[in-house]
Amino acid sequence: MGTGSHMTGDWSRWQHRGALLGLLLMVTATPLMAQENGQAEDPWGDEAWGEDPWAEQQTGWRWYGFLEGATATRLHDDPAVGDDYTLNEARLQLEAERALGDYTATIKGDVWIDGVEDGVRGDLREAALAGRLTDRIDVDVGRQILTWGTGDLVFLNDLFPKDYVSFFSGRDDEYLKAPADALKLSWFGDMNIDFVWMPRAAPNRYITGERLSYFSVVEGRRVAAPPTIDPRERDSLGRDSEFALRVYQTIDGVEYAGYAYHGYDNQPSAVDPSTGEAYFPRLSSLGASLRRPALGGIGNLETAYYAGEDSSGDNPNLPNDQWRFLGGFENEPFADFTLGWQYLLEWTRDHDAIIANLPAAQRPYAPDEYRHLLTNRITWQLLRQDLTLSLFTFYSPSDADYYLRPRAIYRFSDQLTGTAGGNLFGGADDWTFHTQLEDNSNLYLRLRYSF
Amino acid sequence: MKHLLALTCLSIAGLAAGMASAQMTDAEQIVEEANIASYYAGDDGRSAARMLIVDGNDNRQRRQFTLLRKDVADGGDQRYLVVFSRPADIRGTVFRVEKQVGEADDRWLYLPALDLVKRIAAGDKRTSFVGSHFFYEDISGRGTEEDEHSLIDTTDEYYVIESTPKDPDQVEFARYRTWVDRETMLPMRTEYQRDSGEVYRRMEVTEVETIDGYPTGTEVRMEDLDSGGYTVTQFRFSEYDVGLPDRIFSERSLRNPPRDWLRRD
Repeated sequence: MGTGSHMTGDWSRWQHRGALLGLLLMVTATPLMAQENGQAEDPWGDEAWGEDPWAEQQTGWRWYGFLEGATATRLHDDPAVGDDYTLNEARLQLEAERALGDYTATIKGDVWIDGVEDGVRGDLREAALAGRLTDRIDVDVGRQILTWGTGDLVFLNDLFPKDYVSFFSGRDDEYLKAPADALKLSWFGDMNIDFVWMPRAAPNRYITGERLSYFSVVEGRRVAAPPTIDPRERDSLGRDSEFALRVYQTIDGVEYAGYAYHGYDNQPSAVDPSTGEAYFPRLSSLGASLRRPALGGIGNLETAYYAGEDSSGDNPNLPNDQWRFLGGFENEPFADFTLGWQYLLEWTRDHDAIIANLPAAQRPYAPDEYRHLLTNRITWQLLRQDLTLSLFTFYSPSDADYYLRPRAIYRFSDQLTGTAGGNLFGGADDWTFHTQLEDNSNLYLRLRYSF
Repeated sequence: MKHLLALTCLSIAGLAAGMASAQMTDAEQIVEEANIASYYAGDDGRSAARMLIVDGNDNRQRRQFTLLRKDVADGGDQRYLVVFSRPADIRGTVFRVEKQVGEADDRWLYLPALDLVKRIAAGDKRTSFVGSHFFYEDISGRGTEEDEHSLIDTTDEYYVIESTPKDPDQVEFARYRTWVDRETMLPMRTEYQRDSGEVYRRMEVTEVETIDGYPTGTEVRMEDLDSGGYTVTQFRFSEYDVGLPDRIFSERSLRNPPRDWLRRD
């Protein structure tokens, strides 16, 4: 029986691979055919001016989207996860947009055949109505992607949901941001104000053990599903509301911002001692940022204070308060070559108390009082921007671990883009933030046909 | 007092007459006027633009965007908002520039898929604008004070200006020559030379229309003579003095482009 179900699993996986291959072939063949047909008299092809979305008062829906084949193969066998791939999928994204007076309705959804989690999956990424309420107020209501703050792949005051599973497993950067159901009101005046209300908590798409393995402090080793991490949901409409606020202005090229957040931790970082169940604890934060031209580049500073559910360190099942500080600098030392640097400090306030209250077996896994993280981004554009080579490095001297994201993007045409890259994790101790993901290190390949 | 008035009237009349017929001899003045004619028409402007990018192997790419511009001062600082509608992978991307003559521009880029407002380091302005053969500087203008200009020829139609960079390390050319139309003051052709005098890059205005009283280059071709690649940019539905308010050149417009001002009348 065990063998039977194993075979079925294998067979369905082969079917998915077949579908993926078919899609890849289709995707690559289409532009070739298009190229042959494209040698008509009008060098602009079918690109009529009238197609410009600003052309005139539009009516009806406009459709956009892409087809994408993506595969990411693990560099090592992962003893915790059976699959040799962190990603194996054929994806269709469709976006529909429609102007309704001063408003725009957007619906964007993904459907994909998933060869890792076996099955057809879907994700509604946007379903929102955005526009001008008055001369001074914009509104954006519905499912949407929300981003603010000055960090580059490092977030302090942006407590909107992230999808680290997608990010680590080899999907496009755009999937790092997960959608949230929200009402966003923006007021524009001497100071600009963004107010976001999420009527139910919008947590991260955190690592559950299904696609990626992680370190379990309880078991003291790297594990994966089953069992999956299955925390108590925060999905009660209204009662589980989250609020985010940003006040900002640019004065003489210097961008100032203040932030506040009241909601829940995006990770299921707390444990209910009575049931042993994980949950999303309360989190509030206050912060500020500054971004400005400096030394021929752009400099940024950002800070945030996280007030967790445990403000004394007495309860190791709850996250403690933290100060976070970020400093960054980016410049272009050579033409088409950009360098970015960041330093992040995470300071856990009551570290001594946490250590004292932890069971002795878990003490080694406790985060340091001061976690230092350095990042570097190198971007090099070649062939008139058809080829982009980049390397993003996370390195933590305190955790003694690293995470490398090398990547090459090539635009074969306006429709077809190929991306090859990697997510490479490593370090000294099994339990640190990046080292725990070591067995998930992968190299990926993606081919996208946009329409 | 009467005399002064008469004198003023006379000199104004003289100036007007001079513009129509007399020949300009000051290279700096020609360059300034050409700069105003090509980049500062009206107090503001709106235009739809599309680019056909053809590389040396005849691979074709396209870009389409709407450009909003407002001058802070004629010949001086400007504000730009560029909203892309094509191709699919950059649709919805918005580029905002605060052009500051004599110092680095402030530049922002909005990436809609991530809802990310990215600030871009003031970089080399002689790098490709959105993958085309045009440089950023070709789109928003090169500071006239960055080169030494001399008038090397005056034909029936053109003033021919030769410009050499004050700081040769900052640019890839040794010098360039510009053919400025004597009537419209539009630079109709620019040829960039290497040290040897070899021309490797050429800009040509292939279509001019007078819009709202301003002669406007509505089709411009930029050629890379080394690779044989070129980009043709067409401007359509251009309008000047549309009354763009300052407030639309802001972060608000990155996330929520100003529909009313982008729409063609």
